[in-house]
Amino acid sequence: MILPAIPLPFYLILSTVVFSIGLLGIMTKQNGVRLLMCVELMLNSANINLVAFSSYNNDITGQVFVLFTIALAAAEAAIGFGIFMAVYRMKYRIELNDFNILRW
Amino acid sequence: MNGITLFAPELTVVATALVVLLIGLFLNTESKKVLGYLASAGLFASLVLTLMNLDANAVMYSGTLTVDALSQFFKIVFLIVALLVSVASIKYTENNEHVEEYFTLVLLAVVGMMMVASSNDLLVLFISFELASISTYALAGFERRNLKSLESAMKYFIIGALSSALMLFGISFVYGLAGTTNIPEIAQNSAMLVSSPLGIVSIVLLVAGFGFKIALVPFHMWAPDTYEGSPSVVSSLLAAGSKKMGFVAAFKVFMIALVALKTELTMAFAILSVITMTLGNVIALSQNSVKRMLAYSSVAQAGYISMAFVVMSPMAITGGLFYILSHGFMKAGAFLVTAVVGYMILSENREAENVDHLENFKGLAKRMPISAFSMMIFVFALAGIPLTAGYMSKFVLFSSTIEAGLVWLAVIAILNSAISLYYYARVVKYMYFYPAEGERVSEPLPYALTLIAAVVGVLILGFWPEPFIQWAMEAANVLIAT
Repeated sequence: MILPAIPLPFYLILSTVVFSIGLLGIMTKQNGVRLLMCVELMLNSANINLVAFSSYNNDITGQVFVLFTIALAAAEAAIGFGIFMAVYRMKYRIELNDFNILRW
Repeated sequence: MNGITLFAPELTVVATALVVLLIGLFLNTESKKVLGYLASAGLFASLVLTLMNLDANAVMYSGTLTVDALSQFFKIVFLIVALLVSVASIKYTENNEHVEEYFTLVLLAVVGMMMVASSNDLLVLFISFELASISTYALAGFERRNLKSLESAMKYFIIGALSSALMLFGISFVYGLAGTTNIPEIAQNSAMLVSSPLGIVSIVLLVAGFGFKIALVPFHMWAPDTYEGSPSVVSSLLAAGSKKMGFVAAFKVFMIALVALKTELTMAFAILSVITMTLGNVIALSQNSVKRMLAYSSVAQAGYISMAFVVMSPMAITGGLFYILSHGFMKAGAFLVTAVVGYMILSENREAENVDHLENFKGLAKRMPISAFSMMIFVFALAGIPLTAGYMSKFVLFSSTIEAGLVWLAVIAILNSAISLYYYARVVKYMYFYPAEGERVSEPLPYALTLIAAVVGVLILGFWPEPFIQWAMEAANVLIAT
């Protein structure tokens, strides 16, 4: 037990709140950069979970997992910004509302 | 040492990817054609190496990777699809200055898919899943001056990132409750997962995460847009490869790790699969873009395959796996035909738009007999006409559903196949019963080769299915035994 002061449920509540903020943002926002920030929030909420569980289970796997997820989140953000940059060069906007060529 | 030989297929593909990227630096645009051949050779070598270790059975690298009948089955599906795609891409990337990036991304995506098939740990599963996803985001937006391609990449990226976040959040709860990320060890604690409300939340999140990749309704919204907008060769990789990766991940997590859950999941998957196949087929009826039609048909096929999750009998899983193998050939082939048609139209008129519109398939039998004939075989196989791969896989899957007592599900699936025949036959009607406009065009050799290979695959699986069904059964036993 490295974190005796704060019980586990507090961490889970924090991570769930952060996750929900991210999910809400993805569902309501239109700007590409904001969407990317919301995805980062969701990924990081999972990281909070992993570290908290790792600490309470006295098992190092969770913290290793977090290191990998941070790297993956960075890679994902890089690809995301790459796509948004390409879009921006064509349209000078990255609002999702503008995208309606493809629809049924 | 043993680990290295069994891991050789993946290492070969990674090495090829790096070599392609490196050599690409020193070549001018004209001679970059050789990179396509190099990538295809690497994939072929990896396929041979996998075939050499077909009946291997080992757990490697501290229990994080496993090589068994299931992983080898899926690796071969991924490698065949990737080989078809990369040979066809030789012509697609012609005169493009970014050939090396294209083939490196294809190869890395394939490595990700193969590692998912081999993964025995949620950490490896998640990382490989992301490797494949991130590579395909970039591939979908490969035509960076084409707004359609960019739109499809953007939609695919946002939905894909959302799905991996959901999946990671689910995995974090599974880790917290089970105390480990190793899949067989989670299986031992899975009873605890089911009894806890957090466990149920994590399972819902995992279903959503995998469901996005598989394109199950209600998580399918990205699929038609992405398949239609991205380059046809990439759509082929997405529909035939990336989707199967979602299936193998779901098989591993729901059938091995969460084995205690079988009964609870049955109803949920039954509803998902019925909605998926019906919605896919009904919307496909009204599509005028061939690629979009194929995308919705792909959604419907995901519905059929997920019937394996509902029945969960050995025969049903065998049927599901055999369906996955034949769907690889049929769907990859069908998208490659749209790639050939698109290539032909664009080479006549560089400014052409909506090259995948059904109008462009008018009289294709006269203009491009090989493409038209292969398209006919693929769509008939997708509809489930006898003597093709699609018929055999549907037969095994549906009959096992009836055996398991779920007659209503089988009836809905058969009715759905009947509906699907309409839109598949419409393509054939356009190709064969309309007069041709324009000259006879001969397909470029790489395209013709891949189409013929895919047709041969579909026909072999249809005429001579026993050894392949036997093989799928061995793979299914891996899932049942644990």
